[in-house]
Amino acid sequence: MITVTINGKKITLEKQVTVLEAARSAGIKIPTLCHHETLEAFGGCRLCLVEIEKIPKLQTSCTIYITDGMVVHSETERVVNARKAMLEFLLINHPLDCPYCDKAGECDLQDLAAKYGPTTGRFAEGKRTHPESYDDPVIVRNMERCISCTRCVRMCDKVQGASAISMVNRTSKTFVEPFSGKRYDCEYCGNCLSVCPVGAIMSRMYKHKYRPWYIDKNINTICSYCGVGCSVTAQVKGDSLVRVVPEMGKGLNKGLLCVRGRFGYDYVNSSARLKTPLIRRNGELQQVTWSEAFKYAADRLRDIKERYGSEAIAGIAGGRCANEDIYIFQKFIRGVLGSNNIDSIANFSYAPAQRFFERIFGQGVTANSIQGISNSDGIFVVGGDPTSINPILGLQIRAAYQQGIPVITVGDTPGLKRFATCMLKPNPFTETALLVSLLSELKVKKQFLGGNSSFERLINNISALSMKEVEDICGLPTDNIASAVNMLSNMTNPSIVIGKDILQRTDGHINLLLLSAIMYLINGRVYLLSEFPNEQGLVDMGCLPDMLPGGRPIEIESFKKRYEEIVGLNISSTHGLSLSGIIENAYTGKIKAIQIIGENVLSNIPDSNYVGKAFSNLELLIVQDSLMTETAGLAHVVLPSLSWLERKGSYTNLERRMQFMGKAVEGDGLEDWRIISEISKMLSFDMGYKGLEDILSEIARVSPLHKDITYNDISGDECIWPYKGEPLRHGVSLEGMDVPDIGSLLKKPAKDRVYAVFDKELFHPDSLSRKSAAISSISPEPCSRVNRALADRLSVSEGDYLNISTDAGSIEMAVKIDEDIPENVVMIPNNFEGKGIFNIMQWKLNPVLKCPVLDGNEVKLKKAEARS
Amino acid sequence: MKRALLRNIDNTNSADINEYIKISGYASLLKALEMKPSDVIDEVKTSGLRGRGGAGFPTATKWAFASMDPKFPKYLICNADEGEPGTFKDRPILEKNPHQLIEGMIISAYALSAEYGYIYLRGEYPNACNILNNAIKQAYGKGYLGDNISGKGVRFHLHVHQGAGAYICGEETALIDSLEGKRGQPRIKPPFPVNEGFLSRPTIVNNVETFANIPYIMEIGGEQYAKIGSPQCPGPKLFSVSGHVKTPGVYELPMGTTLREIIYTHCGGIKDDKKLKAVIPGGISTPILPADKIDCPMDFVSMPRYGSMLGSGAVMVFDESTDLVKVCLRAIKFFEHESCGKCTPCREGVGWMRAILKRICDYNGRETDIEHLLEVSENISGNTFCPLGDGAATVVQNFIKHFRGEFESKIKI
Repeated sequence: MITVTINGKKITLEKQVTVLEAARSAGIKIPTLCHHETLEAFGGCRLCLVEIEKIPKLQTSCTIYITDGMVVHSETERVVNARKAMLEFLLINHPLDCPYCDKAGECDLQDLAAKYGPTTGRFAEGKRTHPESYDDPVIVRNMERCISCTRCVRMCDKVQGASAISMVNRTSKTFVEPFSGKRYDCEYCGNCLSVCPVGAIMSRMYKHKYRPWYIDKNINTICSYCGVGCSVTAQVKGDSLVRVVPEMGKGLNKGLLCVRGRFGYDYVNSSARLKTPLIRRNGELQQVTWSEAFKYAADRLRDIKERYGSEAIAGIAGGRCANEDIYIFQKFIRGVLGSNNIDSIANFSYAPAQRFFERIFGQGVTANSIQGISNSDGIFVVGGDPTSINPILGLQIRAAYQQGIPVITVGDTPGLKRFATCMLKPNPFTETALLVSLLSELKVKKQFLGGNSSFERLINNISALSMKEVEDICGLPTDNIASAVNMLSNMTNPSIVIGKDILQRTDGHINLLLLSAIMYLINGRVYLLSEFPNEQGLVDMGCLPDMLPGGRPIEIESFKKRYEEIVGLNISSTHGLSLSGIIENAYTGKIKAIQIIGENVLSNIPDSNYVGKAFSNLELLIVQDSLMTETAGLAHVVLPSLSWLERKGSYTNLERRMQFMGKAVEGDGLEDWRIISEISKMLSFDMGYKGLEDILSEIARVSPLHKDITYNDISGDECIWPYKGEPLRHGVSLEGMDVPDIGSLLKKPAKDRVYAVFDKELFHPDSLSRKSAAISSISPEPCSRVNRALADRLSVSEGDYLNISTDAGSIEMAVKIDEDIPENVVMIPNNFEGKGIFNIMQWKLNPVLKCPVLDGNEVKLKKAEARS
Repeated sequence: MKRALLRNIDNTNSADINEYIKISGYASLLKALEMKPSDVIDEVKTSGLRGRGGAGFPTATKWAFASMDPKFPKYLICNADEGEPGTFKDRPILEKNPHQLIEGMIISAYALSAEYGYIYLRGEYPNACNILNNAIKQAYGKGYLGDNISGKGVRFHLHVHQGAGAYICGEETALIDSLEGKRGQPRIKPPFPVNEGFLSRPTIVNNVETFANIPYIMEIGGEQYAKIGSPQCPGPKLFSVSGHVKTPGVYELPMGTTLREIIYTHCGGIKDDKKLKAVIPGGISTPILPADKIDCPMDFVSMPRYGSMLGSGAVMVFDESTDLVKVCLRAIKFFEHESCGKCTPCREGVGWMRAILKRICDYNGRETDIEHLLEVSENISGNTFCPLGDGAATVVQNFIKHFRGEFESKIKI
């Protein structure tokens, strides 16, 4: 125990903290500018100077630690005078342009000057001048206002790990600049502007458009981009959205955001927003009233059900819909339309992987806290770049690396380039061989923990591949693999971060088994990366062809019966078609009607041509979406749903944490659940919900996992798996898990071929962010990445366009040179309409997971004709 | 007095290792390698050696802190970023007697179990860089540096790192940041470099002249050494004398030699036999002394009693014709230019003082300006992150304290 006296108040603390922390813990205010809770101490602004007895000089309370018996004064004349002096110094060069500075009203310097500062300045020689920089599309820098607190630089260096900006120059000419001196070359996380205490680094999104005192409402909500589910606050003036900002220290993101979360919210006001229902008449989508649209949709659904039976109808749910929507959706498809053909993209790899892990390791194995990553003693990343798919999760890995925790990556992870202890970059699509070899070595080095003898037997039956054998196949030097093995074998509680790309492969199911085996051997905690904010919700709410809400298998009579009793509808006990099955059956004409909520299937599933043809064969395609998408463009009925920020609801993130999203503004359209219940009413089943509470209380009864859950629980601090409910308990089952045939892996990829690899890049990992004007201004067009050697061979240089073709089609795309990818690979994103990798892929499914596979896309490349 | 630090200086080939060995160079190293490392530290302790960089911190105490820290590796850094205006005392060692520095560093490294050393060299000393690199190469050649020094199984590697011209990098923590490839700015202390310095490892930073004293201490023994000059801070001291004296230059004299003796005996008195007006005794940041205060013994202990400091021993002499207000402006311009920008009072306040001084110099001063200047300097004083800002404030305060009339006369016309 340490006791200090601050301003006569005795404070006893257990830990040795700084004087500032001690004072704040006792409610004593000491002004600061350069200090920030999330950053290491700096001691530069000198505003927090205090008098400490027995120390002659004033001391900065943010840097000096308390000792027992210390006596501190923070409001003596000497301290107050020094504080005034510091403010007077700061105002020598800080422009007094508060009337038109956006920061006014929430500016730390303004507040302090008003509280402590002198009323007049004595410096007569003129302030420094520096032009305001508009080099960046979304960030504006006004370095005349910079007070050199370096909070932005420390944030960029230590927390974001981007090291994109630095202090430049000396003396009063010191200010912040990106290294280019012009535009940022970074991830545009904008965390620098969050921590700027003055108006030096600001968002252009709301420049000159707002004043803090205009804000009428602050609405807490959850970002709608990825599976992390960062907390953000939407600020509203009257009926319109002013801005979306994080709150420092709040939420699982602790106030940090990525580019999409910070700047991408403007898709809500995109011109692509659907405003009225549309019905296709004479080949064209025409505006109709809601009642017309409901009636039309209901009539067509009834007609198809009568003519072809329920099995000809299917539903596809999207990962950005709220739990409440997708619960109602599966109820509608299952109960009202009588079809178990309900699925989502979650069932391609996220849900099967989770289910597979749960079979081996038990329920809830993926429910791990993101913050826990930096507490593990090693990190193994495979199948995607966490810093672009789930950027805030990626930051945890960077933080862990900076603490000295070993990080091993497999494949292309550009965002972890400077944060990986060991990078394994195998030849394209040879990860399986690499995993077998890692497993073989680990089997030798690690003891089985016991506890799952059948799985241990299975692991033992997997044939070995030596590092030497793999060297040629993967193109990885033996010592590179060996060092990874050494690190892995020394870990005791590592985090294993798995992206979908490793599973959406021809050998994806084998990869899954191998990853489970490695995880078993090294006692890993698994994190499944997820592109969608509610992918877990799709699983938990029963948007699966074989599972009811709460992860209850539909074929088990007791679960089915309970569901039927509560919902008041009879359902079939046969498994429905999975998403790939739905599409194939639409292609062959067996499926006649599909209802889609909140998913741009046409763009987000390879191959787009195949999906497009399948959808064209449909007699009825109903699309509920807030934006006009490629998929909606093919629909017979388009029903505008409310967007994020316009409706309440809940999301379940990749940690299986449920979070509440608030409503900030009104919008055109209806909630998905309301649209569905209206159609249902027309089909003579009145769901009778008055609001979300009714839906949640039904979920709480139907799903044993969500037993007794309320919105109070969801809005509370921690609403994490298994909530208050009961996860399904079942024994470990290895049924259907086969020992993979290793022999088939022993093929070297042909040297002279070039393969297309799916690039989930940071700015546009899927097709949503392109609707954000802000993100599109940062990254206006898709870019392919190739190695310099390949670029030279094709005689293209950065900025040129590349023609990429396969048997399925061809696309043209700008080229970026990236030295870190293999020579026989072209990285292609899938984010802009008609210009993605999914446009040139063949429809090919994994035999077990039944998901479209991403591998083996041999492409022909040539330089495209010159463009203007 | 026999020269200890610049003994071979008249030899035109003094930087050559063979010339150095001829005057029993590297003998001290061999002697030290026979001793226990802790005994070497004890010997330095007995000698009473104080750091020659300016602060005068007892060298053996610093070493003891570092050697008590259990973390390894430890690093040894020579601060050769000689940037204090008026100071050029390290330059003759670097250029004319580099092996004595290198030998001193090797002995220190042995005493402290440091295996890697860096000489952080002032960027404006390109000649010294070549000479040092050549000397280090020669030392490797003779087996005094490397993995097995003189066959004793001792390892020490030494590198020269050139600074890029920032005064602040003479501050040891800023120096370490700069050496790590960062922007050179002082760090928060504690932790001190002796516990967490270069790459967060225990690091000993000593001045060139301090290291050059080590072989001499080993040679004559700590007890003998302690008898040279002032008893409380003994040893030979280099004084770099500039300004209005007949023979400016670097003088090696016993610690405690009076300012009067340095100016009038060793430097031949004031140029053109004019009257002495003032002396800055230890580099620009030490308080200026008027002509009647030059009987002070130049050592770390005595100087504060006379209202100044020994600093680096850079004596700047001003005769009666000097416009001291201009000198003060020039000094403050230097401090403004070199302010690293980290802390508010130094970054903004020094520029403010410069602006006021400039208008006084331009005969545009206001009546309140002297008080104003003092107030700004007091607001800086004691409130800055590192001593650089304090130094600037001290200059202004002491110039006004002793020569207020000169400031007033520029305002009242």
